[in-house]
Amino acid sequence: MTGEQIGLFVASSLRLAMPLLLAATGELVSEKAGVLNLSLEGMMLGGAFAAAIVSLATGTPVIGLLAGIAASLLIALVQAVLSVTLRANQLVVGIGFNILVLGITTFLFRELRGAGSSDLIPGLPVWHIPVLSSVPILGPALFQHSSLFYVGIVLVLGTWALIAHTSFGLAIRAVGEDPVAADKAGIDVGRTRYLGVLYAGGMAGVAGAFLSIADLDTFTEGMTKGAGYLALASVIFGNWVGWRTALACLLFGAATALQFLLPNLGFAVPAPLLLMLPYVLALLAVGGLVGNIRTPSALSFPFFRGQ
Amino acid sequence: MPSALANVGRLRRPLALRPWTVLLPVIVTCAALAVGLGLIAATGASIPRTVSAFWIGAFGSSYAIGASLNRAVPFALVGLGFILAAKANLTNVGGEGQIAVGGILATATALHGADDLPRGLAVAAPLLAGTLAGALWGGIAGLLKVRRGTNEVISTLLLSFIAVNLVYWSVGSVNLLRKPQTSASTQPESLEIPDLTKLPMLSSDPSSQLHIGLVIAAIAAIVVAVVLTKSAFGVRLRAIGLNPLAARRAGVSQNLQLLALALAGGLGGMAGAIMIQGDQYVLKIGFSSNYGFDGVVVGLLARGSAVGVIAGALFFGFLRSGGMSMEMMARVPSAVVWICQGLIVIAIAGSSAWLDMRRISAGRRP
Repeated sequence: MTGEQIGLFVASSLRLAMPLLLAATGELVSEKAGVLNLSLEGMMLGGAFAAAIVSLATGTPVIGLLAGIAASLLIALVQAVLSVTLRANQLVVGIGFNILVLGITTFLFRELRGAGSSDLIPGLPVWHIPVLSSVPILGPALFQHSSLFYVGIVLVLGTWALIAHTSFGLAIRAVGEDPVAADKAGIDVGRTRYLGVLYAGGMAGVAGAFLSIADLDTFTEGMTKGAGYLALASVIFGNWVGWRTALACLLFGAATALQFLLPNLGFAVPAPLLLMLPYVLALLAVGGLVGNIRTPSALSFPFFRGQ
Repeated sequence: MPSALANVGRLRRPLALRPWTVLLPVIVTCAALAVGLGLIAATGASIPRTVSAFWIGAFGSSYAIGASLNRAVPFALVGLGFILAAKANLTNVGGEGQIAVGGILATATALHGADDLPRGLAVAAPLLAGTLAGALWGGIAGLLKVRRGTNEVISTLLLSFIAVNLVYWSVGSVNLLRKPQTSASTQPESLEIPDLTKLPMLSSDPSSQLHIGLVIAAIAAIVVAVVLTKSAFGVRLRAIGLNPLAARRAGVSQNLQLLALALAGGLGGMAGAIMIQGDQYVLKIGFSSNYGFDGVVVGLLARGSAVGVIAGALFFGFLRSGGMSMEMMARVPSAVVWICQGLIVIAIAGSSAWLDMRRISAGRRP
């Protein structure tokens, strides 16, 4: 394996991990607040679609990014009304949204662009970090990514700080562990959970936009292909700890990147085996390597006042 | 934990047949279908042509009715597995993967040896192999749940993604199930299974493809309904679902959760075998085409009732047939059907939660 190949492998691992990392970190906030968003897949797909279409229409990828976030927030808002206010089953609602968003995006994409269209979409600029990007191996691996990649790192670090060091973070954790006690302590459980779901929505929107206007610069029907579910698995794999979730995302990214590396190295591994590798790893992870699992106690349970 | 108890309260009477619990899903379903029609109109397609295409595809001939009923079978089996596991407070969303492994094993058994068996056994052996494969697939999630406390929603989902790729692998490699390549254009799919291993048809009408899967699903529904509502096993499942700790103290083994997921998986695997032996006859990439996920939705919406599963499965079966016909005859994108399905799922979940909320607040009034 040459240095160049190592550099490329690291670069593609990071590139593939970033959308998972963004979505998983947002989902972490929501799950800490006690709401599970199985709709993460749909939120990402909605974000990817809106970002692509608006970027194409305006020619300005930044507006596309904002549209992606807005679309995903809208899905999250409806999801929050259903799972927090109406206390509907969070799994049913999540699955419903995934079907609905797949339908809406596919329908609109075909109406707007025609079936099978894969136009190149104006994407966010790639940043070559001065000096560092010209270092051999490390440069291409770490310092020649899309601008959204670096913004994403800031968002993730910011989210960790938000959970650990702010009163909002404390409220989030309280309503996810013991909503009754949190309610008695004067925390508005419903409002906090709304914000948690919306946070997950916003981050999933960025994650989706990363796919369509930072990584691939195109939109294809159902392009998230299970990334939302991998992000959910990362949160479990990471045992609801921020940095561990990030490691899980990196592992999944690297497992996916092997698809490109192994053929280059001359290993003939059947494609399906490589495609299933991230899921096998995720299963092993959630099934045993994690150690003691510390799920937020009230995860997926709706809150009823006065019982 | 009070919030958990609140959840238990809403599981209590799944079969309570108040007028609204039936009417409201029907109303929201009609509303979702109306949205679908609106979208179709927006694309400029003719509504009467679309509706007639739907009608012809879903109900228009004995062939159409047979095909719709055949489609309802896997929905019903996966949905029944779902409510069985749900009794033990387990959410089996792995129907897609269970169908996939069931289909692989059924095809393998049918192609390698089953046609040497006498007529009845030649049909039964692949069916059994598929069922066992599904049970194993569900059992893995069950084992992880019981031994490691792994959330079964995630494990069954991940197992589904693995299984779908296993299908891809099996039909992509000539060492596995891919048919011998005669030319470069050979599709990655298996050979057709021998006639002897195909499910017998229900009617003598040659234009109808209705097979005995319908009978199998009906029997499964009765068995599941009786087990859940009348048997000691059902009571134990419910006990472990409501309060695992108390159930263990009362002598109910937690391994029952493993068994519940294995049984649910077995029903899913049987669905996969029936899809291969009943009408597809060939294993292809994506042969499970979301039947498993739709079956889970049927189970979710049925809220624990086997009758509800059958109703939902029939509805989805006719909806899928009609939707495919709309796409072929009226050029309506299949995405409209997904939109309707998604809206129906969300609207039914939301409206039934709203009903529960009203019931709870009404119950509190003196």
